Order: sequence, then C-alpha cells, then structure tokens
Amino acid sequence: MSSLEIPSAFAMEDVGRTVLDNGLVVLTKEVHTSPIVTSMIWYRVGSRNEELGQTGKSHFLEHMLFKGTERFKKGEIDLITLKNGGGNNAFTSHDFTAYYFNFASDRWDVALEIESDRMVNCAFDPEEFEAEKKVVIEELKTGLDSPWGLLLQEQEASAFKVHPYRNPIVGWLQDVERATVEEQQAYYRRYYHPNNATLVLAGDFETNQILTKVERAFGLIPAGTPPPSMLLKEPPQRGERRLIVRWRSKVPRLAIAYHAPQIAHVDSYALQVLGVVLSEGKASRLYQRLVEREQSVTFVSAEYGEAKDPTLFHIRAEARGDHSVEEIETSIYHELGRIARGEVNQHELDRAKHQMEAHFILSRERTLDQAILLGQIETLYGIDYIDSYLQRINAVTTADVAAACSRYLNEDSRTVALLLSDGSEQVEENESEAD
Amino acid sequence: MKPTELGLRRAFDVHSHVLGNGLKVLLVENPSIPTVSMNASVLAGARYDPESKAGQAIMASRLLDEGTETRSSFEIADAIESVGGAIEADGSFERLVVSAGVLNKDIGLGLELLSDLLIRPVFPQEYVDKEKERTLAEIVSAQDRPQVVAGWAFNELVYQDHPLHRPAHGYPETVERLERNDLFEFHKKYFLPNNVILSVVGDFRVSELLPKIEDALGSWRARPIVFPTYPEPVRQSGKRTKFIQMPAQQLNIYLGHLGVKRTNPDYYALQVLDTILGGGAGFTARIPQRLRDELGLAYTTFASITMTAGLDPGRFVAFIGTSPENMKLATEGLVNEIRRITEEPVTAQELQDAKDYLTGSFVFAFEASPQIARFLIHAEVYGLGFDYVEKYLEYIRRVTIEDMSRVAKMYLDSENYTLVVVGPLDGAQ
Repeated sequence: MSSLEIPSAFAMEDVGRTVLDNGLVVLTKEVHTSPIVTSMIWYRVGSRNEELGQTGKSHFLEHMLFKGTERFKKGEIDLITLKNGGGNNAFTSHDFTAYYFNFASDRWDVALEIESDRMVNCAFDPEEFEAEKKVVIEELKTGLDSPWGLLLQEQEASAFKVHPYRNPIVGWLQDVERATVEEQQAYYRRYYHPNNATLVLAGDFETNQILTKVERAFGLIPAGTPPPSMLLKEPPQRGERRLIVRWRSKVPRLAIAYHAPQIAHVDSYALQVLGVVLSEGKASRLYQRLVEREQSVTFVSAEYGEAKDPTLFHIRAEARGDHSVEEIETSIYHELGRIARGEVNQHELDRAKHQMEAHFILSRERTLDQAILLGQIETLYGIDYIDSYLQRINAVTTADVAAACSRYLNEDSRTVALLLSDGSEQVEENESEAD
Repeated sequence: MKPTELGLRRAFDVHSHVLGNGLKVLLVENPSIPTVSMNASVLAGARYDPESKAGQAIMASRLLDEGTETRSSFEIADAIESVGGAIEADGSFERLVVSAGVLNKDIGLGLELLSDLLIRPVFPQEYVDKEKERTLAEIVSAQDRPQVVAGWAFNELVYQDHPLHRPAHGYPETVERLERNDLFEFHKKYFLPNNVILSVVGDFRVSELLPKIEDALGSWRARPIVFPTYPEPVRQSGKRTKFIQMPAQQLNIYLGHLGVKRTNPDYYALQVLDTILGGGAGFTARIPQRLRDELGLAYTTFASITMTAGLDPGRFVAFIGTSPENMKLATEGLVNEIRRITEEPVTAQELQDAKDYLTGSFVFAFEASPQIARFLIHAEVYGLGFDYVEKYLEYIRRVTIEDMSRVAKMYLDSENYTLVVVGPLDGAQ
C-alpha cells in the first residue's frame, strides 16, 4: 500500500526528553500555532497498584489533590485557573493518574508551581477528606446508573481473577466508604515522587528557556523510594466464562472480552488493526454485517486499547428490536472465524491502516491531545514506542491479522457478559402545574 | 502581554464568497496541520418539522450518506474511509450539517462526496426502513438513562407547544409514520444553495480551492424558500413539576425555565452570570462550590442559560445528580443560589474573575480546524461578524455589576420554574 508521509509537525524527533537528577522525566514539544501551553503531570500509579479492600484509592487521591496544600488552600487551584482564563482537570485509569492545565502562553508557569507543590504537600484535612468522599460516592453511583458502566465493571471482575484490572477504577463502594485519610496519605507518600512521574509540556514556548523553570520548580524535591512493583499476573483462562447482569433496561446488551497482550507486544499491532477492520466506520465488517445486513444491533464496537499489563480486547453491541443476544453473538463469532481463516482482504487491511494513520494526525491538533499522547505512552511503555508505531502498523499483513484473531479471539479465553431485563416496570409519572 | 494580544496573534483571515447560486463560502487557511475540515450547513432543522412528522429533519440528515444518484451507501463509506477520512451527516433543531475531515491531499474527494450528499441523495427505501427501526431502538435505549429522560420531560414542560418541546429525533409514533416521500420533500424544500453555508478550514490555498468549490457546487440551482413560522415560546408563570420513578442510584434533577436567544444583546452579560453561578473553571462557580465542594451532594452539578441559546430561545437549566436522600437539600440549594444572585449584587471580585476567565480562555475555542469551521457557521448564522474575535473581549470587559443584577432579575426566576426529578423517588427525602 502507499504509505502516508508523516508531516514534520508530528514527527517525534522534536520531542525533547530530559531527566532531572531526582528522576522526574520531562517531555517537551513545541507547538507554535496557538498561544497556548498545556502542562500535564503523569504518575505511574492507578487502580492496578491497589490492594484488596483498598480499591479506589488512586482515584480518590486524584480528587484530594484539588483540596489544597499549605501554599494553595482549598479551592485556590481552581480559582487561579479561573483568574488566568485557563482550564484544568485530571483523570485516573488502571495504569496512571494524570493532571493537566491549559493556559495562555504568557501565564502558564503557575501550573509548574502548583504541580510541584502538590506533588509533596497535599494537605489531607480530615474534614475535607470526608466531604470529598461523598462526592466520590456520587461519582461511583453515576457510573452504576449507566448500563455499559455496570456491565463492563462486572465483566472485568469476571475476566480477571487475580490481576487488579478486575477492580473498578473508582473502587468498590464498600472500600470507598471505609477509606481513611491516614491510608490515603500513606498511599500518596508511596507513589507521588518525582521519580515516579512524567511532566509533559506542549505548546507555545522555547524549550531551553522552560527547562530552567522546570528545574527551579521540581529540582529540589528529593527522589523517593521507588514504589513496590506490582507482581500479580493473571493465570491463563481455561474456558469460556459467562455472566448475566439483571437490570431495569428493556434493551439487551452484549459485551465479549478476550485476553490480549500488553502495549508493544509483538501481536498488539495486529490486534489494533483487527479492531479497526471489525468496527471502525460504516465499511467495517461488523457494521456491515450487524447494522446493515442483519439489522440486529443499534451499534457495535471492537477495540483493543494499549495497557501496561496484559489486557482485554472488547467487543460490544446493543440489541435492537426482537433480535436476541444469542443471534448477535453467533454472527460475531462467525465473522471472527472468517477472519481467523484468512478472509481479510488487502483492500480492507489498507483501508484500516489509512484510518489509523489519518487518525494519528487528525486527532492531534490541540496541544492537550499531543500532551496526552506523549504522557500516556511514556507512562505505559516509553516514548520510543511512538517512533516505530506507524511503521509497525504499516508492517501488519493480512496473515498477521488472521493469526492474531485466531490466537487471541478464541472461545476459551473469552468472557461473555449479558445485560438483560430484570422485569421491572421502570416508569411511573406524576405531573403537576400551579400557575 | 495581555490575553487580548495573545488571542489576536492568531487572528485569522476569513475569505468570504458567495457563489452565483447564493451559496455562501467561508474559507480560512490554516497550514499548521496537513488536514482540511469542511462543514456544510443547511439552514433548516427539526424546528421546521410539523408536529405530526417530528423526526423528519434528523432522519433526512442521517440518510444523506446512505446512497446518492451515483454512489451506494457502501461506496460512500469505502471511498472516504480508504483515505483515512470521515464524512458525517447529522442535524439539530437549527441546522443539518454535513461535515468532512480529510488529509489535505484528499480535499477533492472530500468536496465531491460533500456535494454528492447535499445535492443528490436518493433516500433508498431499504435504508429508510432500516433507519426508522434503528431510531426507534435508539429511543428505547436512551430511556435507560435517567438524565436523558429528565431532559426530555423538562423540555416538554418548558416549551409547551413550541417545536423545541419535543426531542429532535421525534417520538416513536411520529418516526413510525415517516415515509420516504417525507424525506424527499424536506430535501426539496430546504436543501438549496441559497440556504447553505460552507466553511472550509485547513491546509489549502484559497485561490486553488475556490474553483474546485465552484465546480462541485456551482451548478446547483437556487429556488426561493418559504420557511414555516410559529409563535415565540412564552416564559412560564407559576411552577411546573414532574416526578418520574425509575429504579436507579441517583436522582437527576433539572430546574429552570425558558432562556434567551443567541442574538439577545444581554448574551455576553449572561455568559458572565453563568460563569459566576454555575460554570467557569473547576468548581469555582457558586452552585458547584456550594452543592459539590461544601455539601458533597453531587459529582455533577452546574447551571447555564447561554449554553443552549440559539435562533430560538434556549433554556435556563440548573442540574444536579444526587442520591435520593438529598433531594430536598439539593433542590433547595439550587433555588437558593438562583434567588441569591437575583436579589444580591455579585462582588466586584467575582465579576472580575469571571471576566478574566472568559477573555483568557477565549483562545481555546479556536485551536483546531474543526472548531474554527464551526465558528464560521455560527458567526454567519448569528450575525457575529468575522471581527468577533476582537469584539468579544470588549463585549465581556464592558459588563458591570449593575448589568449582573439587571440580567439576573430579568432572565432568572427562583419562583416560577419547571422542576423535573427522575430516579428512585421511593427513597427521596
């Protein structure tokens, strides 16, 4: 196939990587198209690091980092963001916790002040902790009111028996309810160190000038004891697992998950291509079969996402009309069987690769998107991954896709989760008007 | 450097043209990334659907890429996806939009498909049937989400007989009755070059692109259009409430009333008001600060009147998702904050912070080509002018404390509101 040229603005050669003496990794990427600087900090801690009975700690900690330090009191981080016309947010995953600020390029330095301060000085006021616990519990409940949120949570708990990917990122309700401020603080001390973090700066700046600022803000923070390694490994699955979640919905939903390898594994590239061949765009295989021909689903998706440890390849579909989940499931397996037997043609493969390449470029226009890409890859694996990414995707053959499909997407390693009606009558209305 | 000057560094040059058939073309060269974003907006949407055919406009838009005179549904998808591009057709109450994103080398293909979808859709019967079934299934699926159910019920009460009372995609009974001919009719009536704005932003030269646009769209024939009219919606007097029982973890609460049009001269003062009351950065606004940060009642809570402002008046909405035992506390909390801002002046500090936020963060709205392409359409539809980028800062700076009191009293009401609560009412307190 013809390969796309990667424009120079997206080449990784102009990403700077510096490591401070205390171990903090600093990635810089100049982007001068808009007067904006995104500043992100990534910690190598997420729900995969949590012990039994202590789930949800990484995420709760993310909330606490907005609740103040000695220097920036409660509410002040948001207030500074407001006054400077910026934006901030944070997110937690199985593998990492990340925080960002977006500011105009003449006043972004304050982000460095805040991040370096809250790397070590988070206050953990017991009252604030208890107040925020209620907010976290409301967030957890919002997730449970989403059919997919609930189904995938149950599925992961079943697909993994040992590895902590089995736990919800937000935690199990009872763990969050009984969390203590002391435990939370100890967790913070264990994982929030310069040598367990990556700072990413993307935007309108001169790299050599900002490195001095970074050194000034973070250089004096001592390196911490390297956090303990996460040693748990998921034993091989030896047969299909099936589960049913009963819920108030009338619409059946189907989620199939297969064990799949970690980021940069030799087979991971073919699995990414396979996900696109199966469900990206209206010309894709499962869309054509289930939405177009059989009209059995409102949507279908197939996805392999990069993760630090061996992860899952997800297929999801929502049934429509009188079509049963069994019927949909059978069609999906039939289609996977065809792919495993080598029925993916060159045109499909080329189309998928072009989609992936274009996505790589089209979705990186904002500095925040670039910072997310760089930070995530550095945290999961190492920035080198990006250098060879498109070449490796490009090198995937139809035989590779067939082999990956056959090897990973097989009956014995799948967990099938069904969301089915609990038979409840859901809606009673009561209306009044007083003019 | 002040934020103004920073924002202006990227002051973009808008090339505005009108083709012989009346089609408006707005172009911005942005060579920073080798891509092109196109956005063709047809200035008609679900607001023009007759009540008995609610869903007509959205259905028409969703079928644009399911077959044209020269291409099948699959051929359209395969053509654009094979070059890694995307083309989408979708609609709202105000507009039907065909948007495409391609690498710069594929701009010709993008334009060709765009014009094909706009001018020559055939709405194949097979796809009409499919789309109806799919829409019906999606409506059932959406009812699983309490927030969606609450939003629909809220609109019904706030808008009463006005077209915006209904979901844009229609009701199951109206969708079921839609026929292929309805879609053709909608297309014939509104898909006309003199009713379309095309914006293109990205890596191209205007002088090279214009002839291509002329080729693709220039022969499309104009015709006069008659737009339906309907009475302006009226803001309620008195309270309207609706409680819907649904087994769930949280109650979803909507509280508010009719809002304002985007063209309202107080729009900018209201943006400042929104920032102080229920928006802004993080949890700095009064409602999230009080109800989330201090009382711990919610993960999500906000309020806004400008967010939904359009050609028709939008809605003033205060929202909270909370556990059932908090119902009274949460509802009172929202009403108290609305009352407080209508009765007491905001502080000079609050005003300044909100203005700094709005002027400082303005630049983020213009970072990516698709954002700029959408802005150009808004600028044209709402008459903002292409010097809006400069004028906006002034609009915000000029807002005073007195304006805050005036607009709060004029546009917010803590007595005569609609309240919709959806969720586990059995445990509500």
